[in-house]
Amino acid sequence: MTDLILILAIFLALFGGIATLLVRSAFDKLICLGILTAGVVLFLVEKGYLDVAIVVSLLMPVGTIFILLLLGKKQEAPK
Amino acid sequence: MEEGLMIVEGICVVIAVYCAIRAVFEPKTLKKLPYLNVMNFAVAGSIVLLMPYPLTICAAVAYFIGSTLESNAIASTFARLEEK
Amino acid sequence: MIDLIPAIPLAAVICLLLFTALDIFWKLPQKGGVSGADVIGKELENSGGDKNGGWMIGNIISSPDASAGTLLAACGYYVWGIWGALISIVLVYIGARICADKGFAGTSGAVCAALIIWALTSFAGFPPESFIAGCVIAIFLVEGISPKHASRLLGKIWRKVS
Repeated sequence: MTDLILILAIFLALFGGIATLLVRSAFDKLICLGILTAGVVLFLVEKGYLDVAIVVSLLMPVGTIFILLLLGKKQEAPK
Repeated sequence: MEEGLMIVEGICVVIAVYCAIRAVFEPKTLKKLPYLNVMNFAVAGSIVLLMPYPLTICAAVAYFIGSTLESNAIASTFARLEEK
Repeated sequence: MIDLIPAIPLAAVICLLLFTALDIFWKLPQKGGVSGADVIGKELENSGGDKNGGWMIGNIISSPDASAGTLLAACGYYVWGIWGALISIVLVYIGARICADKGFAGTSGAVCAALIIWALTSFAGFPPESFIAGCVIAIFLVEGISPKHASRLLGKIWRKVS
């Protein structure tokens, strides 16, 4: 039933979160944050917060784009 | 109860878990992106299977477009910053 | 009336042929469309894949192409029949414009998939959820097992067709 997808959401959120802590490179951390976001959106849809799920899934990539722009400035600054 | 739905959900869950694990354990960053894309397909399918309401179509489309934008941004920024 | 278990492999093959044919029709393997697709194509070529196949896989990842349209049309049809498929076609069109994709690969994929799914579910008795599983399996076969070998196969098909 829907318990199976709930187990998927728990696995993705935990695995994504722990992987974000343990990987080294910044881009790999952003990819693991994407796995965490997948778990979070599944939790939101499960509880019926569909409008919150739409907003979260459209705004997390915006945050990722801001972080990528900051990474560019951090590499340019010492030069 | 609905055995047919359980088979379809099972397929989406297994593919999502396998590709998430493979994405984390892949050494090169750009090669993680195909596995991440497969996981996003499976999660978008799971969103619709979880709650079959019309607004859920909007949530699945929004999630999928968001994941496409994110992969595109990561790929193009990785190329721009790693060439130096 | 087909059962679910034989319907899923059939639906997977149909979805695979549909979005591969549409992507080749829109000339996606010819060049990297968006900058992310270009980068992924070069990376797949460097690690032993094929150049054109790599660009096609890059376009599948970085832009909403026919595979995205097929999956979302299947999801829409499962929820609300033909009206759900129409809603998903409109949303895929808006989403493609948000991604700054000037082509029509995603919208055409959604329209063709909606027609094929409607025909197969009305006249051949396919259950609608088999297309969701079929599309996920089709994408897994293209990108999830080995993108390197899949890019070689796609490059071979592209060179034979064009």
